[in-house]
Order: sequence, then C-alpha cells, then structure tokens
Amino acid sequence: MSVSETMVRMGELAASSVSGHVLVSLGLGSCIGLALVDRRVCVAGLAHVVLPQSQGYAPENPRKFADLAVPELVLELEALGARRHRLEAVLVGGAAMFAVSSASLDVGQRNEVAVLELLKTMRIPVLAAATGGNRGRTIRVDVATTSVTVREAGGKNTELLAATRALEVV
Amino acid sequence: MSTHYSELQLDALRELANIGSGTASTALSIMLGRSVDISVPTAEALPFADAVDAAGPAEQEITGIVLGIVGDMTGTVLLLVPPTDADAMCRMLGVEPSDELALSALGEIGNIIGTSYINALAAMTGMHIEPTPPATATDMLAAIVETVLAGQALSSDVALMLDSNLLVEGADCSISFLLVPDADGIEMVLARLGMS
Repeated sequence: MSVSETMVRMGELAASSVSGHVLVSLGLGSCIGLALVDRRVCVAGLAHVVLPQSQGYAPENPRKFADLAVPELVLELEALGARRHRLEAVLVGGAAMFAVSSASLDVGQRNEVAVLELLKTMRIPVLAAATGGNRGRTIRVDVATTSVTVREAGGKNTELLAATRALEVV
Repeated sequence: MSTHYSELQLDALRELANIGSGTASTALSIMLGRSVDISVPTAEALPFADAVDAAGPAEQEITGIVLGIVGDMTGTVLLLVPPTDADAMCRMLGVEPSDELALSALGEIGNIIGTSYINALAAMTGMHIEPTPPATATDMLAAIVETVLAGQALSSDVALMLDSNLLVEGADCSISFLLVPDADGIEMVLARLGMS
C-alpha cells in the first residue's frame, strides 16, 4: 500500500475514503485544521479554516470560513459513505502566534469557538484537540486507520486519535 | 497567477518596494554598522494558499517580526529571518542570542526596518500611514505567514506580496521582507501612483 499525502492548504478542504491517503495541513497558525472521521467506514476529511464567519462576504473561496467550510466538509464525507451521526472531530491549531492585542492577528481563538459551535449544532462530538497557545502545528489524518497526529515546530508526531484498524476486523 | 493586477501595476508596486527596501537597508546599515545590499524585489499577487507556498518550506523554522500598518491604508509588514541569521544580527548589536534581551533587540531591528519602509511608502504616495509596535515569533514558516494573511482574509482571496531581500555584507545573514496590504490598501496605493 503506497502512502500519498494530500496537502490541505489555507482555505482548502479534502475528504477521502482511499486507504493510503493521508490528509495534511502543514504549519497551522491561527487557522484551524478540523479533522472529521467516520471510524466505522474509514472515511476522513480535513478542512483548513482561516476565519470564523463569512459575515455576508461572498468571496471567491468560501471554504476559508468556518460557517461555510464545515457543512461542506460534512456533505463531502456523506457523499463518500460517511453518516453524520457517526462523525467525530479532532481540532488542531487556533494559536496566537504573535503576542499583540490587534484583533486581526488574534483570530485563532475566534476560529476555535466558531468551529466548536458549529460542531455542537451538528451534534458532532470532539474527541481530541491541540489548540490555542502560541505554537504552530502540523496535522496529519490517515484515512485507512482514521488516526490523527499533531506535530509542533521541532517536535515529534503525537497521536491525538488512535488508529482504529482493530475495529475494522470485526 | 497575477490575476488581479496588470504587469504595469505590478511594476509600479515593485518600484515602490524597491525604494522602500532601499530606505530600510540604509536604516539597517546604520544600525549594524555594516553595508547592506538589497535584491531586486518581486511583486506577486497570489491566492492565499499559493502565497504561503511561495514564502518557503512550510515547516522550516523561521523568526518572523510583524508590524501592522494603520492610517489611510491598513496592512502588515512581515520580516522573515532564519534563526541563525537572527542570532548573528543580535551579536552585531552586542546582545547574546540566549539573552532575554535578544527578542527585544530583534523587535527593534524589525521596528527600524519596517518603520523606514513604511515612511518611504508614505512619502511616495502622500498617504498618512504609520506602523504599530512590532511582535516577534520563531516557529514554522507557514504558521507565521498564514497568521499574517488571515488578517486580511475577510475581504480578499489574493495576497499581494512585495518581497525583497536585505543582505548584510560580510556576515552572511539575510532578511526577507514582505509587505502585505489589504485589498483596499492596494487600490489606494495604485490610485495614488496614478495606476488604478
């Protein structure tokens, strides 16, 4: 089985049911990497959310906003056979990279709050999170095992959501 | 990829960046007591994701010094320095990199460079703009750049990045220099230059 990494860059999202696919967002700062997984059928998705609300703006890329990206990611996962009631979430990012009081540079926490509220409305439980603080982070989502890992600058990969291969055998 | 601006407009912005970074290099040169060279600036209008890619390897450790621009135009000036180069510049100022003053010294370098750049921009365009105090972080490059871009993401999908390199002679250290104006800011600059 060959491993192929799909980069989910700023304002992008991706969903996959292909064993061997790994969804990656490198160097999340104030952005949120939202991983949604259906562990029963091994379908996983990742959204790289930039801002909390679209506030009526109609941009070329709606996927950068939490309020537009999260529902779209859910739809893409459902199209791949996931069921909404089985979806579970892992959040990474939302850091305050710079210690300044400027509102425009402090979007990290607002991003996290917005994503958590959306997940609550959609009744999607959050299983793990590595958010806040002032460090950048990389998130990796392995589709085959629906495991999720996080890595900080100069650090090692840490497992946030364990692989579920054992469940598959059942 | 320069979808939103014509080559002529980008040329004008490049020239603006050239004069701005020239002024900034003079300031850095006086501060460090060494001559400082500048590279030919690039001006690119890129979708956010491409802009992050263009800044360099996503997980590379980098020191970022960020200054906000407020006034007639809003935007951000971001200085990117490899950590070893940041250490070298601290030593030139007589501050050991391990010293708790090092971050403050770096912030001051950013402040002087950024401020002289912004002042040059103001003088050329007749705009009233001023810098906000600098903030510093050492982390993954992508995390620093995307956080700066997120600040203008509400109204824009395209980042205009004016990038030039300052090279300190004889010390092998460089500073990459990014001016990221918000969408309205770019229009205003172009109007002032008679290029809108």
